[in-house]
Amino acid sequence: MKPESAVEQLLRWRLARAEAEAPHAPRGAYLLKLARPWWETWPEWFKLLAQRVGRIETAYGYAMAENSRNRSGHPVAALVVRGGEELETFARVLYINVRDGRLRLRFQLDALCGQPLEAFEATFIDDKDARPLLSAQATLSVDSEYRIDTEFSGQLTRDWELLKVTDKMPFRLILRAETDSG
Amino acid sequence: MSFVWFWTFWHWSKESFREGSLLRSPLHGIGGHWDEWYRHEASESDHEAIAKTGRSEASQRQFISWLLLHWAGETELRANRQAHRFVLGQIAHLEPFKHWAAFEKYRASYGIGGISAVVLAEGSPGKPEDVRAVEALALTADPTASAIVAEGFQADSIELETPRSAVASMLGGKGLLVFLTLWLASGKRAYPRWLEIVLSLGWVAVAGLILYLAAGPDPGEGLIFLCGTLFALWSGLILVAATQAATQTIRAWQQGRKWCARLEQSQVRLRMDGGLTIKGGSAGLPFCLNALHSLYRANSHADRRSWLWERLFHKLRGESQAWAATGSITAEGFLKPVMLEAKLRACLQSEGIKHVLTPRQHGGGRKAVYRLADARGASPKQTAPTPPCSVKVRLGFAAEEPCLRVHPCRHVAQALMRLGEFNSKRQLALNFFAVATSVAMLIALRDLKAILLPPPSPMVVAPSSPLPDYLWVSLDTMHPDQFLVVLESSYWLNRRAELSPRVGAHGPPRAEIHLQRSEAASTTDQEDGTVWIERRYQFLGREFAPGRHIGRYDVSYLNRIGHE
Repeated sequence: MKPESAVEQLLRWRLARAEAEAPHAPRGAYLLKLARPWWETWPEWFKLLAQRVGRIETAYGYAMAENSRNRSGHPVAALVVRGGEELETFARVLYINVRDGRLRLRFQLDALCGQPLEAFEATFIDDKDARPLLSAQATLSVDSEYRIDTEFSGQLTRDWELLKVTDKMPFRLILRAETDSG
Repeated sequence: MSFVWFWTFWHWSKESFREGSLLRSPLHGIGGHWDEWYRHEASESDHEAIAKTGRSEASQRQFISWLLLHWAGETELRANRQAHRFVLGQIAHLEPFKHWAAFEKYRASYGIGGISAVVLAEGSPGKPEDVRAVEALALTADPTASAIVAEGFQADSIELETPRSAVASMLGGKGLLVFLTLWLASGKRAYPRWLEIVLSLGWVAVAGLILYLAAGPDPGEGLIFLCGTLFALWSGLILVAATQAATQTIRAWQQGRKWCARLEQSQVRLRMDGGLTIKGGSAGLPFCLNALHSLYRANSHADRRSWLWERLFHKLRGESQAWAATGSITAEGFLKPVMLEAKLRACLQSEGIKHVLTPRQHGGGRKAVYRLADARGASPKQTAPTPPCSVKVRLGFAAEEPCLRVHPCRHVAQALMRLGEFNSKRQLALNFFAVATSVAMLIALRDLKAILLPPPSPMVVAPSSPLPDYLWVSLDTMHPDQFLVVLESSYWLNRRAELSPRVGAHGPPRAEIHLQRSEAASTTDQEDGTVWIERRYQFLGREFAPGRHIGRYDVSYLNRIGHE
């Protein structure tokens, strides 16, 4: 037997075995379900969380007027959902940049008990009508900061391109710990 | 130009901050800014240049040197002498610097040292690891963050704000008053050694002169010289002491006020590694002391005109590694008791800690250290080679004295006195001596004035005595106690009389001499005789020999004055 043909046979045998052991391909419906944003999968839960994060707004309205003179930014209402617990807090946007179809954002949470989580799924909710805008992964960076780097397109792009960190942000955040997803 | 990529990053950071993309200033947000720039903004050529710099440790060190010497000097950070350390400490944890060997020491600390805090881990009976290095940096204020920031640990804001308030009090409030009072009472002075000896001898001389004048032999003609010398010496010593005290107090106050104003415009960053969540306020004292030190370090040498602060922080700079502290602190700087035994045990076992500042409380002090050292069954530092420390032979025990000194304090000001080694028993004793001597001098001041600046010679005035067996000598003077009247006669007994104060509402002071005929009278003339007015010298109740005559009157004149 030639060595070339022996290797080829071995590869074929390995491929056949891998195909036999591989799990079945997921069904189309399941893939569609995975692709859907969580607020469509669990609309009631989203509605509850959105209502709750919406109620935080009045708490920082007064502080906002004070802080605007000091270049300290406007706190963004945030609801942290972690391990079945919900924590109302504020996020301070440290960096925002909308460019070339991408949104880059950094924020820091005001109060988060214990060690900061490695990542959140951040859902941006419209400040006015509690409409979900987008969802992206926020990853822990230096100094307890979280960073988001995601595709960003559509009607909001033009408005958000002009945003400064010192402006009032047109969104609120629902931050779900990765373990709570699904 | 070397390391252009860092300039590129820095300008991106500044521009982004200016245009509103970044919230934090380039300095305060440098960690996050670098992370963002390196991930998304740096060009391919920047990445290549950075990688080239990181290829060898030599080029990494070159970059650090450039950052410290050139970059920091060319940016607006040059005013703050600690900013570049903060920059190095921040970026040392980031890509790609966290893989660079030259950044190793900046990852662990800012390299500025500080007084350690004794913070017990949960359930710890007091181990060496519980003595934790604390570093403090003062940067310009960050409007997006607190005025005092914890790095490497978590604490309630009140646990950090209270030490900061205590710092403000120590720089420009009641705390500073307490510190200055303690220093005035028992603190070392800024004199050279020879002057200190001269001043001590001066005070001894003053006390000696006072004793000599009060109880020694009558100096006679030398009285004025001795009194003049005493007054000049005492005045000189008081002048030197007051000038020194006033100068140092005013300078310390001015410097303190200046730093207090800077504290208001600063962000103090306290770093203590370990990721602990602090429960309780016993780290308040080391936080306060380190924050105070950070303000000193942040400012340039040109600002430093106070010997008091300079000495304190000079000592701290050199020896802070040997100090640990524990104590809950109030905003006014007072220390409250804490759990002490386990902390002292931790200090005893910790290498390098020679002094510990604690609140003054039951269960602290040297006895507690001896007890804990004995409980360990051996000298606490014998496990590792340590520099020789004071070993005192104690008869009957043959025990080695622990190398840990406990300094109990009621107030941060006392801690500063200890840290700056201001406490001086010699100065305290000298101050007591000087105060006692000065009190005696103040009491004797009127007598000295009468000797050195005598009042003008008085004139005899009416009335004269209406009674034949009395001679009145009325003098026109405001100081009747400083004159004597002496009668010398061949008919009457010679007498020396003191002047009584004013008689009646308007009468002048007068001496009333009861005339008694001398048995050995050599004349029959009842108006024979002369009255002399003499100066009277006293010192602290002691009467000296009469002074020179300053007036002479005939008895006949005195009998008729006012009747003519």
